[in-house]
Amino acid sequence: MSRFNLEILLGIILVSLTTVILVVYGFNEEDRMAEAGETQHARAIEVGAGLYENNCSGCHGIKGEGILGLCPPLNDAEFFTTRLKEVGWSSSLEDYVISTVSSGRTTSTRPDQFAGQGSPAMPAWSDEYGGPLRPDQIQDITTFILNWESTAIEGVVIEALATPTPSPEEATDPVARGQKVYLDRGCSGCHTIEGLSAGTVGPNQTTIGTLAETRIPGMSAEEYILESILDPSAYLVEGYPDNVMPKNYNDLIEPDQISDLVAFLLSLR
Amino acid sequence: MLRNLNFQDLRQKLGFAIDNRVRIITAGLGIDELRAVLRGDPPTEKPNPRFKVHTISFLFHIRPRYYQKGSTILAHTFRLGFMTVLFYAIELITGIVLMVYYVPTPAGAYASILEIMSEVPFGNLMRDLHRLGAEATVIFTFLHLLRTYFTGSYKKERSFTWITGVILLGLTLFLSFFGYLLPWDQLAYWAVTIGTSMAEAAPLLGNEVNLLLRGAPDIGAGGLLRAYLLHIILLPLLAVLVLSIHYYKVAREHGISLPARYEEGDVSPEVKKDSKRRLDFLPDLFSHEIYLTILGLFLLLLVTIFFYGGAPLENIANPQQTPLDTKSPWYFWWLQGMLKLGDKSLMGIVIPTLLVILLFAVPYIDRNPYRSFVKRPVAVSLGVLAVLVLILLSYMGLPQYGIEMPAATRIVQDMSPEEGVGPLQDVPYDQLQQGFYIANETPTENLCPDLDFGCPEFEEFFSLFTDRVNEAIDSGALENGDAVIVTENWQQDLKKVTMRITWDAPETGDRKTYERHIYIHRNNQGE
Repeated sequence: MSRFNLEILLGIILVSLTTVILVVYGFNEEDRMAEAGETQHARAIEVGAGLYENNCSGCHGIKGEGILGLCPPLNDAEFFTTRLKEVGWSSSLEDYVISTVSSGRTTSTRPDQFAGQGSPAMPAWSDEYGGPLRPDQIQDITTFILNWESTAIEGVVIEALATPTPSPEEATDPVARGQKVYLDRGCSGCHTIEGLSAGTVGPNQTTIGTLAETRIPGMSAEEYILESILDPSAYLVEGYPDNVMPKNYNDLIEPDQISDLVAFLLSLR
Repeated sequence: MLRNLNFQDLRQKLGFAIDNRVRIITAGLGIDELRAVLRGDPPTEKPNPRFKVHTISFLFHIRPRYYQKGSTILAHTFRLGFMTVLFYAIELITGIVLMVYYVPTPAGAYASILEIMSEVPFGNLMRDLHRLGAEATVIFTFLHLLRTYFTGSYKKERSFTWITGVILLGLTLFLSFFGYLLPWDQLAYWAVTIGTSMAEAAPLLGNEVNLLLRGAPDIGAGGLLRAYLLHIILLPLLAVLVLSIHYYKVAREHGISLPARYEEGDVSPEVKKDSKRRLDFLPDLFSHEIYLTILGLFLLLLVTIFFYGGAPLENIANPQQTPLDTKSPWYFWWLQGMLKLGDKSLMGIVIPTLLVILLFAVPYIDRNPYRSFVKRPVAVSLGVLAVLVLILLSYMGLPQYGIEMPAATRIVQDMSPEEGVGPLQDVPYDQLQQGFYIANETPTENLCPDLDFGCPEFEEFFSLFTDRVNEAIDSGALENGDAVIVTENWQQDLKKVTMRITWDAPETGDRKTYERHIYIHRNNQGE
């Protein structure tokens, strides 16, 4: 067989093979596209989870459980079933979340329960409205938030990781317990303690233990901090407006937790 | 009237009419002749109509009338030039299809790539072909240059062809480089940022060139549009122009070089004469080109579908966050490697420019008239040396080489890179059982008693993590190092993995912590 004829033969075989490959690939294409869509959705959730942790968890809770007095939960049945009717939103929940996250909220819709962090109650997050996030990032956060639907209304249960029993040292140390209260009860969402939290709504507390000693003449540091937690309007740090910090921590936090919190803040010098 | 109709006559007339039409389309080849061409038979008419085609048809006019038989030996050319053109054509066709869906704006680009991958039938295939074809174009262009260099085919009348070839190599690299930015993911954004920042080091005009390329101090909407226009209009037009000149020189002026042994070797006159025998374009060369096209397409498709993991797409470009381990496209690693050797201006601009000039001037520097290996030892050994240096420099260009990163960061990055997949992503989703896994405390075996088949991949991952931490502790990089992996169920089908390493800072003795949170979704596995 001459080279010429061999090439004709091989050429015909290869064209047939190529056609077969393409046809088989084509039959599988619908499934592949669907799978690619799912992967992209999964990736959006992963990215959204990271963004949520960095930007939203300080106020809305690390797992979207909300913080009473501050920001509403995003992972409960109410959010997925009645919230749209409550605010009179006619479009989808996804649009509602995107719109709220993008432009924020000037005043709270439930000021008695969730006052937000002042005015605005929730800042605008989209860079189109002066916030730090791009639209695609807000889309990813929304995809992540909507992924709570199955646990919120479909009865799926996600067991949380059991926290290890605190070491004896931690359990008996009010400062360590107070730090946990500080982180768990939303203080870190608004206040900065260098190396621990980075909120900018309220005054910096990195050295509050020292500052509190001299803030009000005749008042001890301990008394001042306690007063500021229970009655935030009693003394206002310059540059920070009144009526931003919730005034009902007396009801929200157990008395012994408050004393732990005070002990922790006193230790910041 | 019907009785008068002569069917013999009619058939002949009809055949004649069809034949005429065919001759107009094929620039002179009749039906019988066409068949003979396709079967490799000798010409059916005299004078040979196959030569006439080259005068009448434009497309055949720019093709060679013949090549010398000796110059078409496979082991001499390896068909590298043809393959380069073939891949250029594939890039052109797949590129046009991709352009239908692609949007050259920062807000739209990444989304349009996602759309191509999940909503467009055969869209992902087109993207993979385009990506792989681009790599192949660069590879084949470079191999073609090497072949030309080592067979000494750049000498005498071919020196100008060599220069156009070097220009084409540059155009190919830049075409590929600017195409790299278009998906607008972290990989693209930072690779091109690194690449264009080299221009900044150029004396006098550096800043201006950089600004011209990026459209702003940083790559943004303007930079993307510029890269897009360079990629789809300016560079392709230039490439077509230079390629035409390059090809016309070969096809119509000096042909492909004969292997040196026929030209200057000690071979018998018969062999020499046979090597100069003409192989006509029609049918021999043409049919071989068709065969090569079929073969090239088949192989590309085969590799793309069965062996290629898919063109990479990392997270959307984020100008605020430089990922760890950024690198330029692989064909510029050698440049990155050079940059690590010294001054940015000298190593990034001056020496590369000199090298390019040197490459252009090869035919004029090398005055040795001989072409066979043994008669040009200096040129051949310099060529081999250059290739080795290029490989070495490319290795040095890798981010793993010569860039120090704190040990904890390095370990976590190696376990689960910010972009792409690492050992953590290779662990099956269900094996990520909730819990605290403390290095050197938690046993590395039997970690998942609740699972029927245990979690061998996770155990392997955990012991790898532990080994890396211990290595760092032993080398003194992590004094009093502690490391923990925490796995939590976060949402349905979503897990959160925390890797935390703490150690004593060497000077101050402060306790330092490096921590990264990684979220893993069930459906984003098995890539």
